[in-house]
Amino acid sequence: MTALEELTAVARDVVNPHVENWRRQGKKVVGFFCSYVPEEILYAGGILPYRVRPTKCQPATHLADTYLSHLNCTFVRSCLQFAYEGKYEFLDGFVFTDSCDHIRRLYDVMRATGPFPFMRIIGVPHKSGDEATAYYRGEIAGFRKEVEQHFGVEITEAKLKDAIDLYNETRDLLKRLYALRQEKAPPLTGAETLNVMIAATSMPREQYNGLLSRLLGELSARKGISNYRARLMISGGGGCDDSTPFEMMEDIGGLIVTDTLCFGSRYFMQPTVRGGDLLMSLARSYIDRPSCGRMADKVTERAEFMKTLIHEARVDGVIYQRMRYCDLWGGQLFYLRKVLKESNMPLLDIEREYHWGDVGQVRTRTQAFLEMIEERKNGN
Amino acid sequence: MGTEINLPKQISEGFRAMAETLQQANPEWSWSVELMSDYFARVHQAQEKGEVVGAINFGIPSEILWAMDIVPLLIDPIGGVASAFPEGVMKYIDLAEQHVPGYICANNKTFMGMILAGDLPKPNFILHPSVPCDSNMGTYPVMAEYFGCSYFCVDVPYLRNESGFAYVAEELRRMIAFLEDQTGRKLDVNRLRQAMEYSNQAHEYMLKLAELRQTVPCPYSSLDAISEYGLVLMLCGTPQLVDYFKKKHQVTSDKVAQKKGYLPPGAEKLRLVWIYGAPAFDFTILLWLEKQYGALSVAFMNNNFVMKPVPDISSLDQMLMGLARKTVLMPMSRECGGVWENYLDAQIDLLRRFKADAAIFAGHVACKSNWAMAKLVKDRIHDELGIPTLNFELDIFDPRVASTEEIKGRLGRFLDEVPAGRTRAE
Repeated sequence: MTALEELTAVARDVVNPHVENWRRQGKKVVGFFCSYVPEEILYAGGILPYRVRPTKCQPATHLADTYLSHLNCTFVRSCLQFAYEGKYEFLDGFVFTDSCDHIRRLYDVMRATGPFPFMRIIGVPHKSGDEATAYYRGEIAGFRKEVEQHFGVEITEAKLKDAIDLYNETRDLLKRLYALRQEKAPPLTGAETLNVMIAATSMPREQYNGLLSRLLGELSARKGISNYRARLMISGGGGCDDSTPFEMMEDIGGLIVTDTLCFGSRYFMQPTVRGGDLLMSLARSYIDRPSCGRMADKVTERAEFMKTLIHEARVDGVIYQRMRYCDLWGGQLFYLRKVLKESNMPLLDIEREYHWGDVGQVRTRTQAFLEMIEERKNGN
Repeated sequence: MGTEINLPKQISEGFRAMAETLQQANPEWSWSVELMSDYFARVHQAQEKGEVVGAINFGIPSEILWAMDIVPLLIDPIGGVASAFPEGVMKYIDLAEQHVPGYICANNKTFMGMILAGDLPKPNFILHPSVPCDSNMGTYPVMAEYFGCSYFCVDVPYLRNESGFAYVAEELRRMIAFLEDQTGRKLDVNRLRQAMEYSNQAHEYMLKLAELRQTVPCPYSSLDAISEYGLVLMLCGTPQLVDYFKKKHQVTSDKVAQKKGYLPPGAEKLRLVWIYGAPAFDFTILLWLEKQYGALSVAFMNNNFVMKPVPDISSLDQMLMGLARKTVLMPMSRECGGVWENYLDAQIDLLRRFKADAAIFAGHVACKSNWAMAKLVKDRIHDELGIPTLNFELDIFDPRVASTEEIKGRLGRFLDEVPAGRTRAE
């Protein structure tokens, strides 16, 4: 099996052999819902952080809908459905952040209707800066303590340092992977990349880094993709953990060459620069990284980040996907449309459900978008 | 060419005309209407004169702005009030939806649309806390960038504890620095202290009034109970608000002493508490409930100001700590931010204190966080108080989601099943 095949297999379902093997060794797995959860702390405690996703959840979330409303996004409804169905029984706990209204209420509903094991929410500031970072440091310090107490582990400074280094290694490797995508003939598709990204949060990190290194070697021998109609960026919000729609977009001639997703570039762009206070180092790297739409003081920075990636990856058009009822990413459009228009960059906004229900419509719209880009390229 | 619209001016004039009518029919009601008219006239005047006008969302202490001679343009009330005027706010919502998804809160869309339409002059800056919802977080920062306004967000932590209050107090200090930068003027601590004295006096009256309003029969009208929400947001820190509550307290005390309810003797059949939104676009629904069912809306979540006066205003630090608590405990911020128990506990307490026969959860369709708790809360209210809750969807500003008639239909069918006074929460 190639490294790509192995990583792809990890992303295809909720549970994978790596997680099962980890558990067979008597080790714990804790699910987390947001990329603002510092995985390094869990990993330093010998716990496998697993980013919760409701992969293959059916659109009908009847159990979850007893409590959550149709006005809540289908990502959280699908997660709750899976939680009630017992699909997350392999998890020894859940860590949330107040990343958005939907996620924080998922925490409430799960708490109120459990029992579920270890439940913890981390408050993440909505701003950057020294004071916000210091506040977040306090939050993750409390989180570290609770993990130690609940799981009976010791998260020493040495273990934390090793975990930070290990996760920084991932970031370096992923940067190299994304650099390959900037080439004129990238050696892998956007769908393949997304699977690689999902695998990062679904398996032990040493093994992942090993596979990632192997993948980079394999890709150097792989023939680049050059028969595409347009180079695309995927942008927008969360719940983007299924490569099927990306495959569809690429089947009709698009090639996704970069993204601004939290399951993508935003996950690894910011390394943790270790200082004397490791928790502060972590806090700084999480607060300062390319931001989610929830961060109030980073509107222009988000737009600049996007423009930089557009330039570096020579993007022809941006597909902005967001979950229905996601205010954070829905609101960004107000400014983003203006910015991209000024940059003469085509934008396709897709409002979707977690399971991308209207695939036919998305296909038609993407097709039209690609045609429009081609016409622009041809000077029509 | 259509007539040029200036919303603050138009609203002020509308309220002025309404106050004149009310002075004959119900002088007591005219007090709040006159204050509203004066407030919007003040906003208009400031914009005409080129003074600094800051758009603020509830939770930002208006005391600080009044103390710095900055006219606060309250975003919520302007949308809510405009929605009740005959023209409504639909055109602003439609205009905003050319830019953002329809599921964004009408409060944000209305504000956005008003500025896009040119009917509301662009404020100098936008100021809001990070609570209560994503719709604010998703729109205010981008609106500021788009419109070219200055911007400041007061970050409010998820968990409510002492370190969180201290963090908010520091955020308010940074907000003051931002305001000083905007105006080129330093905050005069004595002016703030004076505003805090007014604010404290108003709060003392509010707390006393809340106790009086709990009396059976209730001395307050449904409209009084809801309209004071906007007044508090706009005018906290001004002597006008103190005067208003002083007068209201006097007349309400008299009514309670005489055992006189707002409705005629024996007419108060049901006491309703609106534990979430209410149809701002048509508050005559409340009058219809009174008339049709003898159902008095005795309390609203939005008007549930339980914050105590700030005990120590001797120093800026102490005032900021007090205002930080106020920011966090502002109705809606208190309920919609943080853990769901914040909402539940406040509503159980409200229903109990006001001896409610039923709870009305008029769920604004944009409030995703509250809809996620609706079932949990309804069940818990039933378990703890034995009273029913009606959950239904509406848009508080936009009658196209649920019209007046549709809402009356829902309320009517529900109230037909609520036995008068039998299940009362005590």
